[in-house]
Amino acid sequence: MTLDPAIRDQVLGTVPSLRAFAISLSGNIDRADDLVQETLLRALAHIDSFQPGTNMPAWLFTILRNLFRSEYRKRRREVEDADGRYAETLKSHPEQTGRVEFNEFRAALAKLPSDQREALILVGASGFSYEDAAAICGCAVGTIKSRVNRARTRLADLLAIDSVDDFGPDRATRAVLAGGGRS
Amino acid sequence: MKTGKTVNLQPPASGEAKAEDRDAMGRLATQRKGEVRLGREVQVRIGQQLRALYDDVVSEGVPQHIADLVRKLSDQDDGVA
Repeated sequence: MTLDPAIRDQVLGTVPSLRAFAISLSGNIDRADDLVQETLLRALAHIDSFQPGTNMPAWLFTILRNLFRSEYRKRRREVEDADGRYAETLKSHPEQTGRVEFNEFRAALAKLPSDQREALILVGASGFSYEDAAAICGCAVGTIKSRVNRARTRLADLLAIDSVDDFGPDRATRAVLAGGGRS
Repeated sequence: MKTGKTVNLQPPASGEAKAEDRDAMGRLATQRKGEVRLGREVQVRIGQQLRALYDDVVSEGVPQHIADLVRKLSDQDDGVA
């Protein structure tokens, strides 16, 4: 049966964000795209189990994460390696490389435990609520909150240590400048 | 802190050392307790950079082969490639 174009557009509309999430999980763009492709194959084969009106991104993210866990995580060494490769992979996105601060951030993010990075990305970048993120990860809302908090704290810690020399005396000014640069 | 002993009435020397430590640790003084004590500007900055990183990928849009795949599957009768 032909897919409802509205549903199809919802699926396609989620793909860019789904890819970004897949890269953060797998640490590799090619594998991320495989993961996205598998996710879409599975989702469209089971599209009847999606309830119209519910959260399409959350549904697709859940499928992708489960696929990653069940298939990719068996290769444990590779997955552990993904933490290191995550930083490498993202270097292929050169838009921001002119900014020392930004590179430091990427390196710091790559150092986070994967469950914390995942939670932080779902909430802080993908824009999911704590509740949706908990549903996607199959854990309690409190667990997600705790992971996000620990991720933020650890990031701040890493960034402070790594950037003492670069930051100069006035962190507040620096932060304002960084913020101003993006707006 | 909230006990009757009022620990914060310590000798000035100790207080100074603590302040110094905070400065030396760099700009995250409010975070020293390890909890969610991050300064607001730190949180804002982390959020901005996180989104910038993520949006780098998002801005690439839908790769052509993925778009083709979805269209192909959408038009199929059995839904299987």
